[in-house]
Amino acid sequence: MQHAKTGFLLKTALRRDWLKIVLWLLGVVGLMAGAAGKFDTLYGSPKAMATIIETLKTPAMVSLLGPFTAKAPYTVANVYAAEMMVFMGLFVAMMNSYFAVHTTRAEEDTGVAELIRAHAVGRSASLTAASLELVILNLITAVLAALGLQAAGMTGADAAGNWLFGLGLGAFGLMFGAFTLLFAQVADSARGTTLLSYSWLGLLFIARMVTDVTDPKLTWWTIYGWIEKLAIYDQNTWWPVLLMLALTALVGGLALRLGTQRDLGAGLLPQRAGRRTASPFLRGPLGLVARLERTSTIIWLIALLILGATYGSIFGTAGDLMSSNPTMAKLIGTTGVRLANRAIVLAFANKLTVIFVILATIPGLITLFRLNRDEARGSLELVHAKSVSRLRLYASVTGFGLVIALAGLALAIWGMQLAGGAAMGPDALSLSRYMRGFWGYAPALIVTFGVSAVLVGALQRWQSVAWALPAYGFFSLYLGSLLDFPDWAKQLTPYGWVNDVPLKAVDWGQAGWMTALGLGLLVLGYLAYARRDLREN
Amino acid sequence: MTEPIVVIEHLQKHFGKFQALKDITMTVNAGEVFGFIGPNGAGKSTTIRTLLGILKKSGGSATIFGQDVWHEAVAIHKRLAYVPGDVTLWPNLSGGEAIDLFLRLNDQAHSPRTDALIAKFDLDVRKKARTYSKGNRQKVALIAALSTDADLYIFDEPTSGLDPLMEEVFQQEVLGLKAAGKSVLLSSHILSEVERMCDRIAIIREGTIIETGTLDAMRQLSRTQIRVTTQQPLDAIAALPAVHSFKATGTKATFAVDSEALGDVMRALTPLGITALQSTPPTLEDLFLRYYNQEGGADDATR
Repeated sequence: MQHAKTGFLLKTALRRDWLKIVLWLLGVVGLMAGAAGKFDTLYGSPKAMATIIETLKTPAMVSLLGPFTAKAPYTVANVYAAEMMVFMGLFVAMMNSYFAVHTTRAEEDTGVAELIRAHAVGRSASLTAASLELVILNLITAVLAALGLQAAGMTGADAAGNWLFGLGLGAFGLMFGAFTLLFAQVADSARGTTLLSYSWLGLLFIARMVTDVTDPKLTWWTIYGWIEKLAIYDQNTWWPVLLMLALTALVGGLALRLGTQRDLGAGLLPQRAGRRTASPFLRGPLGLVARLERTSTIIWLIALLILGATYGSIFGTAGDLMSSNPTMAKLIGTTGVRLANRAIVLAFANKLTVIFVILATIPGLITLFRLNRDEARGSLELVHAKSVSRLRLYASVTGFGLVIALAGLALAIWGMQLAGGAAMGPDALSLSRYMRGFWGYAPALIVTFGVSAVLVGALQRWQSVAWALPAYGFFSLYLGSLLDFPDWAKQLTPYGWVNDVPLKAVDWGQAGWMTALGLGLLVLGYLAYARRDLREN
Repeated sequence: MTEPIVVIEHLQKHFGKFQALKDITMTVNAGEVFGFIGPNGAGKSTTIRTLLGILKKSGGSATIFGQDVWHEAVAIHKRLAYVPGDVTLWPNLSGGEAIDLFLRLNDQAHSPRTDALIAKFDLDVRKKARTYSKGNRQKVALIAALSTDADLYIFDEPTSGLDPLMEEVFQQEVLGLKAAGKSVLLSSHILSEVERMCDRIAIIREGTIIETGTLDAMRQLSRTQIRVTTQQPLDAIAALPAVHSFKATGTKATFAVDSEALGDVMRALTPLGITALQSTPPTLEDLFLRYYNQEGGADDATR
């Protein structure tokens, strides 16, 4: 009876989520097949192939994309696997986290789960249905991805590799879905679950990065690295897939077990009693936002600092032309090598700053969207009825969001400089050199913020569309140059407007007008916000 | 006479094509408890949210303390306290934190009165709002509002989810506000609550105020139920124009009388030799049902 009505709940869930599933699948499969279709033209010539393989073997690229392990003779498919595997893994892990939270904790938070549980439905039925939904989702992802690769027909790609890629990706995604289901039992809200799963994903990703650069054997311990060990289109190792599935079964089984033991709506982490009275800081809307975002802000800022420092710690290896390209190093002499090393580090720092600024945008936008989220939920209604002007509320929320986003970017760059300096020894670069990245990319962040604020003010139902900016920005700038994106496609987001700081000097004129544009959009967002109804129902 | 506190004239509000408020006209005077009743979806909450400047009016005018509710919202809110019908709090704030926050947002502080109210409503303020029941969330807003020193208190179905004991505490507190000369706008479903506390009431139906006045005046507009036993037959009474739904068995009869014609009917009854007489004035329920079921025929009022 524990599982009564599981099938019915599964059908209902699939009917509820089908559009979201289709959109995610379009993203995942479209990206994979689209890129695969393009690779033959990108790396068709032996010269292009030689260049890209040299690039992929540099520590910088290994840290971003995973190691290039294939043996010569290389094919286009080898390059494709090296470039796409880690990135696609991140993508499907995020997809699974999203659905795992959406079908479990989110339902409990809104009270739907309680209504369901009150019917003749088994205690584990909801969680089992959620797990099955994830299984189906990943199975479809796996099959479609494999078929997409088959259809693309890259040089060097064979059926075994295509299916290994698809099924490996599916198993990898399901594994992170299972982790999220486990966190959903531990945390006590959808928000807490998301925070835990992303922290876990981030931790594993950083661990993978460090071990890939220092000692690839250790990558086995990072779980995330299992996806690299598939050696797709090379040796096609199948058994890491089984390893993933085994861990999935273990973690998922634990989640199901815990799920039957806890109270609905509660987590396994103990609930602490709250304060009897408010702290002196909880005075106005600004104090309120700071209090509400306290925990997640601290986590984000620390995570960005650590991420920056982790990347910085490989600058010594990354900027070592002597070992990565000895022929070239001999050619340009000692001084030349030193200069070239610095240029390599700064070019790498540019790529990293793009990642930092996009990650830093996320907590900022989450805070900004609170303005509408809390309004729709109703918790701001009592604030609206107080002597708090809309300007004060709007300025508090946008201001706090913008400041933590900028602080996150600065911290990541600082962490990169600290660890980078230690790793590079006498060749270390000054903080002000790295901070060019801050002055260059901060305006892009402000523009993204401004666009989002206009959506918040004028089109509150469509505010989630703003996530497209960091999401596409990340994709187009992380993979865009490898996939040979045209310039206009990279310039669709403000992040693509910035020049290659910190390698190049800051274009202050551009930074100035972009900042002005962003702030102007923020004002526009306020004007719309000040004139509209706050709650319709 | 002092200025009225709330003045609403021909207020309109539409959401797209849907006309939520068609014609709202009412006045809340200083020092009175004003009841606002109507069925679900009639526009009570929309009216109140427009008064709070949360929604922007589509037509007409609305002022509180003589100031426009949209443009002067911040100044008005300094002298106002509000409790919505469905209180949503931030799940990770404790009840105590929420109460203090709401007080401070109006530049007021946690006072001995706050503590007294917390004790009266028997709220565990250390619990996180996530774990509160609907009634407890309601208490948080009530404690914050009642311990705010304001001139106007707006309650939108404030006691939903409260148990009868707490409802009693709430009613005492409102009567206390009334005694202190404060003005109260109370929207409610609980008619006994309105009947007990309100000086005047307005009835809203489908976005229009259909009746405003004191309960007594409204009773005048309605019918009184009479049960009478006389020595002589009652046939003559049935013919009177002010008598409705006449039912007689011998010398016993029940019927309804238009309240304004009660004296005439009594004069007609007296010669018949009254042996027993029971007169029931219309309850608010009767009025309520009469106004709501207007399509249902006039005789519904007498049931």
